[in-house]
Formats: sequence, structure tokens, C-alpha cells
Amino acid sequence: MPDKTETTNVAKKAAGLGISLDAWAVALALGFALLVWLGWIKRVPW
Amino acid sequence: MASSVALPASEFQDNLFKRALRLLPGLFLLVAVGWAGKFVEQSIARYGKAHHLTLPNIEYVLWAILIGLVISNTVGIPAAFRPGLATYEFWLKTGIVLLGSRFILGDVLKLGGVSLILVAIEITVSLLFMTALGKAFGLSPKLTDLLAIGSSICGVSAIIAAQGAIDADEEDSSYAIAAVLALGAVALFTFPLIGHALGMSDTSYGIWAGLGVDNTAEATAAGALFSDAAGKVAVLAKTARNAMIGFVVLGYAIHWARKQHTAGIGNKALFLWQKFPKFVLGFLLISSLATARFFTGPQLANLANLSRWAFLLTFAGVGLRTNIGEMRKQGLRPFLVGAVGEVVIAALTLGLVLGASRFIH
Repeated sequence: MPDKTETTNVAKKAAGLGISLDAWAVALALGFALLVWLGWIKRVPW
Repeated sequence: MASSVALPASEFQDNLFKRALRLLPGLFLLVAVGWAGKFVEQSIARYGKAHHLTLPNIEYVLWAILIGLVISNTVGIPAAFRPGLATYEFWLKTGIVLLGSRFILGDVLKLGGVSLILVAIEITVSLLFMTALGKAFGLSPKLTDLLAIGSSICGVSAIIAAQGAIDADEEDSSYAIAAVLALGAVALFTFPLIGHALGMSDTSYGIWAGLGVDNTAEATAAGALFSDAAGKVAVLAKTARNAMIGFVVLGYAIHWARKQHTAGIGNKALFLWQKFPKFVLGFLLISSLATARFFTGPQLANLANLSRWAFLLTFAGVGLRTNIGEMRKQGLRPFLVGAVGEVVIAALTLGLVLGASRFIH
């Protein structure tokens, strides 16, 4: 079913690197925002 | 000295590489299912246009969830795919932060403020009602508390946070998570139907989905199934609800520490910070940057599309991780308590939203 164990494991592994899963998600989103702002990502199709 | 430093570093890189490699099969599956959902939606639209037919516009969200459900409940999910599939929550949070670009801070404060008031009422009533219901059905106190926390705040994350804080059994938290997810799956299909039947506006429905559906992924999907605008508002309302997680878990942790005469919470501010969902801050930061015109129009469109891609992986994950056979094994009583509670909470939040509708337009 819901892979709570897997989710928890991923969270633990992320935390093992020093930051939480949440913080990784924020870092990735801000990284994307920076690349878009710098013009390195010019067009994201949908 | 240099070699003793280099060895752990290379081991660390090896481990990181292996971990990343383990995620790949599941990630490919998320992308494939999400893309298939989008492909089906576009194919139906193209077919209707080519043959001058008016076909119902069924969003990619529903297709991605349905394709995931079919795979999960027929061929099943091999173990090699599970680590990657579990990243759907990571993509959900990344998508929420990027979604901040589609909100002006004023709207966030207005809608978030109204949502916070409704959230406070919803949480108080839900906690009291679920606690009484759990007692009436003879559930263990910790399972009752986990169900109450899960259905009043934010589903799985809240239950996992509370499990450690109140020292609950793994089995109890599995029951509570199963109930919350099973009912979330039901809400995915019932909420949009009710919303359309009542002729709700995008904003009212979005707030209702954010308040009434427990797990963030399902709340986001239930909102998006109604309309794109409703999905946006549902995320905002759900984010306001998620922001309360630390306070409620702290309250329960103190209650159980007193009850069991164990060591209480030392540094309460640190506890609150640890439990606070950090993606809420990321969302507010991106929204502030968008409000300050830090990004141009095309850049904002790019960020919005990145957010849609992240949500696409989330919706695929919602379907793929739901196994109806496994849900049946979890037992009837916790599910019944959850079901009765959810129906009451959905009705309560619907009443609250309809009552507050003149403040949210």
C-alpha cells in the first residue's frame, strides 16, 4: 500500500546527508528559480 | 592523513551514487505514467477537434492517477521501483514551492489568512470529534490520537511526525496512514463531483479541498481535478493547514509525556522548528520574489510549468502507491472511524467555506 516505510526511508536518507527532505525540495525549487532568472532555462514547455 | 580523508569522501560519493541509482527505475515509472496521462488527455482533445466532437475534457490529473491505480492493482509494483516511487512526496513539495510564483503575496495573505481562521476551527472540531469517535469505537488511545492528528492536519506527514513524538506503535501508525490514504483516494473522486453539483467557485472549492482532504498530494489532486485555478487555491489552503503541524504535534507530545511520566519536550522552539514544514517558507519566498517583480512574465510562466511537471510526477505517484488489496488487510474499525470522521469533517469544512464565501472572493 502506501509506502510509508519507503517514504520514511527516503526522508531518513535525505536527513542523513544533513538536511531534511523538505529542505532538499526547497533547495531544488530555488535552484530552478535561479536558473530561470539567469536565463539558463529559457523555455519550459507544457 | 590525506588518504584517510579521501577514503570516506569516496565512500560517501559511492553511497550517494548507489542511492541515486536505486531511485532511477521508480523515477522513470513516475515520468512514464505522468506523461501517459498527459498524452491521453491531449489525444482525446485532438480526436474531438479532428472529428468535430464535443468530448468531456478529462484532465491529465485523473488519467495519471487512473493509469497508476491500474498498474498498482494489476501487475503490482516490483521492489526495484519503490524507492523511486517514494520520491513523489519530494516532487509534491518542490511543486508547491514553485507554485509560489503564481501567487501575489497579497493574495497569499488574504486567502491564507481566511484559510488559517477556517483551519483553526477545522482542527479544533476535528480533533475533538475524532477523539470522541475513537473512544466510542474502542480504539487504543494512541491510534485514536494518530487518526485525529492525521485527519485534522495533514495526513501522512502529521502521522509520521506524531508517531515519534508520542511514541506510538508502528502498527498503529500504519493503520492510521492506511485509513487516511484510503479515504483520500475516495475524496479524489467525490470532492470534484460535489463541488460541481453545488456550483462552487474555483476559490471556494479550492479552499474546501485544502481543508477537507487530509493528505497534501490528494488535496492537490482533488483541487486540480476541479480546475487549474482551484488546484492552486487548494495548495494554498492545504499549506496553511500544514503550517499548524508543529503546534498540534507539540501539544500531543506534551500530553503523552505527562501521561506516561516520561521526559517532556526540552526546547519547545527547536521542536516547533524541526516539525515545521520548510517548504511553506520556500513557497512564501518565491511568492515574495514574484510580487517584487523579480521575474519577468515569461520567467513566471516557466516556473509555473516547472511546478506543473513536479505535480505531474506527484499525481502519478498517488495512483501508483495506492493498492486496494493491501488496504483491505488493514482492518475495518480504524477505517470506519476514519470514514465517519472524514464525512463529518468534509461536511463541516464545506459549511465553513460556504459560510465564509463572501470573504474569499
